[in-house]
Amino acid sequence: MLRFDSSGKPFIIIRDQDQKERLTGSEARKANILAAMTVANLMKTSIGPLGMDKILVDQDGEVTATNDGATILKNMQVENPIAKLLVELSQGQDDEIGDGTTSVVVLAGALLEESLSLLEKGIHPSKISEGYEKACDIAVKHLLKICDKIEFDKENCGSLVKAAKTSLGSKIVNQYTEKIAKISVEAVLAVADLERKDVRFDLIKLEGKTGGTLGDTELIDGIIIPKNFSHPQMPKQIKNAKIAILTCPFEPPKPKTGHKLDIDSVKKYKELLEIEQNYFKEMTDLVKKSGATLVLCQWGFDDEANHLLLQKKLPAVRWVSGTDIELIAIATGARIVPRFSELTEKKLGKAGMVIEKSIGTTDEKMIVIEKCSNTKTVTILVKGGNKMVVEEGKRSIHDALCVTRNLIKDNRIVYGGGAAEISCSVAVNKASKENTGVEQYSIRAFSQALLSVPIALASNSGLNSLEAVSEIQLKQMEKESSFLGIDCLSKGTNNMKEQYVFDTLRGKIQEFLLATQMAKMILKIDDIIRPTGQY
Amino acid sequence: MSYFTPTIVLLKEGTDSSQGKGHLLSNIDACTEIVNTLKSTLGPRGMDKLITNDRGKSTVTNDGATVMRLLDVVHPAVQTLVDIAMSQDSEVGDGTTSVVVLAGEILEQSRSFIKENVHPQTLIKAFRKACFKCRERIKEIAIESNVKDEKQWNSMLKKCASTAMNSKLIAGHKDAFSDMVVQAVRSLDPEFPEVDLIGIKKVGGGAMEESFLVNGVAFKKTFSYAGFEQQPKKFTTPKIALLNIELELKNEKENAEIRIKDPKEYQKIVEAEWELIYEKLEKIVDSGANIVLSRLPIGDLATQYFADRDIFCAGRVEEGDMKRLSVITGKQIQSTTNGFTSEMVGECELMEEKQIGSERYNIFTGFEKQGSTTIILRGGAEQFLAESERSLHDAIMVVHRAMMNSKVVAGGGAIEMELSRYLHEYAKTIYGKEQMLISAFAKALEIIPRQISQNAGFDSVDIMNKLRKGHFEKPKENIWMGVDIENEGVCDTMKSFVWEPSLMKLNMLSASTDAACLVLSVDETVKSPSLQDNNKISMEGRK
Repeated sequence: MLRFDSSGKPFIIIRDQDQKERLTGSEARKANILAAMTVANLMKTSIGPLGMDKILVDQDGEVTATNDGATILKNMQVENPIAKLLVELSQGQDDEIGDGTTSVVVLAGALLEESLSLLEKGIHPSKISEGYEKACDIAVKHLLKICDKIEFDKENCGSLVKAAKTSLGSKIVNQYTEKIAKISVEAVLAVADLERKDVRFDLIKLEGKTGGTLGDTELIDGIIIPKNFSHPQMPKQIKNAKIAILTCPFEPPKPKTGHKLDIDSVKKYKELLEIEQNYFKEMTDLVKKSGATLVLCQWGFDDEANHLLLQKKLPAVRWVSGTDIELIAIATGARIVPRFSELTEKKLGKAGMVIEKSIGTTDEKMIVIEKCSNTKTVTILVKGGNKMVVEEGKRSIHDALCVTRNLIKDNRIVYGGGAAEISCSVAVNKASKENTGVEQYSIRAFSQALLSVPIALASNSGLNSLEAVSEIQLKQMEKESSFLGIDCLSKGTNNMKEQYVFDTLRGKIQEFLLATQMAKMILKIDDIIRPTGQY
Repeated sequence: MSYFTPTIVLLKEGTDSSQGKGHLLSNIDACTEIVNTLKSTLGPRGMDKLITNDRGKSTVTNDGATVMRLLDVVHPAVQTLVDIAMSQDSEVGDGTTSVVVLAGEILEQSRSFIKENVHPQTLIKAFRKACFKCRERIKEIAIESNVKDEKQWNSMLKKCASTAMNSKLIAGHKDAFSDMVVQAVRSLDPEFPEVDLIGIKKVGGGAMEESFLVNGVAFKKTFSYAGFEQQPKKFTTPKIALLNIELELKNEKENAEIRIKDPKEYQKIVEAEWELIYEKLEKIVDSGANIVLSRLPIGDLATQYFADRDIFCAGRVEEGDMKRLSVITGKQIQSTTNGFTSEMVGECELMEEKQIGSERYNIFTGFEKQGSTTIILRGGAEQFLAESERSLHDAIMVVHRAMMNSKVVAGGGAIEMELSRYLHEYAKTIYGKEQMLISAFAKALEIIPRQISQNAGFDSVDIMNKLRKGHFEKPKENIWMGVDIENEGVCDTMKSFVWEPSLMKLNMLSASTDAACLVLSVDETVKSPSLQDNNKISMEGRK
């Protein structure tokens, strides 16, 4: 970016001017749109039940195999600022909804792709944005019109399971969708407050273990901590446990202020030793006196203390992590005790059963706390052949949990398999004709872009994508039904209502709004200033 | 008689100095260069800039001041333009692009005069006069809004806010946002409105439409220790203690050392330390507070202590949030627990922890008096949110300004055209060089409507012709004729509600004129070599 004044002398206006480059106008717009399209195209293949996974290897050689849009983008470590925006876009969808993270990127990419030809026609980018905004409005209104409600309650949760199944359809767990969907729904219902329509996710713990298959995944009505009892001779099973939760170590207390103890005689030394011994005795006595039958400690303890605990028949677990402590405290109704002297019976938590279990053939052990007095905490133990599968399994279950939560928050749904998109596309296209001027073009472009998701869905399913989509479009128009979608799994019907394939209304609306927002933002940029040699 | 003139070394080696007419022209060139960069962001159809710094952090923005700051200008003459953009930003908050564009155009207009050897001081004098005339004219024609009529007053503020948001990313939702902004600003203390008391919180995920205004204070859940989840998360009519105390078991004095002679003393020392923190905690509980907020960390011990007593606590609360709470509750932030009584705790109607997107927020509402609000901003990506925040800030500043000065003028280039017409007429009544110079200033003012229509992709020559004709033929009726963005033409922008506070235009005129005059009055720049170059020279010298 070297500049010259009128007399031919170069001048430097901005710092490191020679190391910066600048793209302006249509050049900048094209570069941005291209970057966005590249990302979107990359994601296209993971849409739908037959979408493929991607393997990502990070700097440390850690391998992730996933189908989840947000995870793929996050782990790709993109550098291009526009591509970064898309990463955040899918992250936004993930944070808010937890599902549809791939579709939102594909839709944003398609909107930008369509705008490319509009720009070439000479339409002002902000005009295109306005048209998109209008079209998005129409599409959202249309979604509200075609949405359906599903009914469920605590006992009758079949419809929720079906929704969870749709979300799991494209994931690695699809062999066991039925079971895992059920587990997810049960987990959410266990912690849900149906009246307030609130689900607290921090009460659901996802624990992964390698070994076994994904089908062995189970729901535990309680908490698992990946620890074992501090002494191998302690009992492995405690019924009606009274749990003391301690955040102080079984050690002589230490003042926080720097200190020094002067020992200048044998007598003093013996005294000191005695005092130390006494501490341990006193501590275990206090615990025993409170009536506790199990001790969970956030810190470690001395071998001396360990031995004493064994003698007093007090099973104990050490180095329990802070988050686990909190969860257990909530589940068992225990109070976290910072000092031995404050331990009373009232502060103990109650659990029906605490067992140390070993998993598979390894000597890895874990402690399961079941039948807690306050049952509102559950753990899903995900099992799988290798670490990658377990991790992906966890992510898939998280998606399913999100879908269930969203349905509890708002039980309106739209039909999946591209049905909602196709229906909106038709509606937007129709509405475009009521507008005069350039907006008509951009509204129509929006309706075209909406088809990108069903097209990707169809092509991932091995269908002749354009043919399949146009066929459904025609059928939808003829029958005026909004629940006809792509038959991805060749079940022989396009009726998504029968196939029970649906998405949450909230998720879909969010997807449209976010994608439009992003397209607008990228279209508005006409000037890029960046250091040279990057990207 | 000596033929030998000794070279006089006056300046340090490597110092760059240039002077004279050529230098002045070069400065103008540099300014034009930067103005050209900025110009495309002007107006409702203005575009955004994507600027990436060397550390890879990118910003998308439409705000003139932000662009100028991010460009990292080093050219001394151009620096003045950066400064006026900043001053406009801090003084009025909006119109930062216009101020730079106008200053650039004034310089551009003066270029031909400089080439014809008009003395820069003559130019400066004329421009100052023109600026003065313009300011007088604005004061004369600005429309005073009726402050007494609540409805009219509110709608005027809203229109000013939405005009400020017109060119921004959030333009699509300007109605909702201008509502929020006006409500937020109006809730401030009318005597000493402090814009800081309006909090803007950004929560990723979610759509723009989901942004909302909290009539009170809201902040993100702070870092918490085990035990926090056991605390209650909803209170009606809670008592709030605002503290600036570290509630942690720790050494009270740095670098202190305790020497213990007798092992029996040991336990006493330990107890004493516990005593210290427990005393603090007890005093807080005794005051009757059931929400404890502190600027400094609240440790695990205190968290569990409070959980045990059904008290909610949050440590490391941001200073701004504490300040807002302090203002709205009317209570001071306490930095000691000594003498902490029930009189020092504030009250509100409802405190609740709510899930917003993936974050949890503590929301305090229902305060007795008004004085602080929080806008929760939602959006898809970080850059998007950052830009929205800047735009909202602009709008807040504009409303804030408009409240103090209730006069408005019409935007969309209307006021500039009117001033231009006025100056042209005025120029004809005076004699001498100034006549031409004031006309030049009048011409410079036309840059605003011209650039607005150019950015919108209109035929700017055509529109300028229409505007000039309208203003000159019927100066009375067409006083507010400006660019019509919707229909590619001209219209009465006063009627289409493109309103701007007159204060903004006044400030813009004087800032631009000042900057232009400053650049014009410079005839020599002496630039000391930078430290790096200096080292290089001395190294070479040593060889």
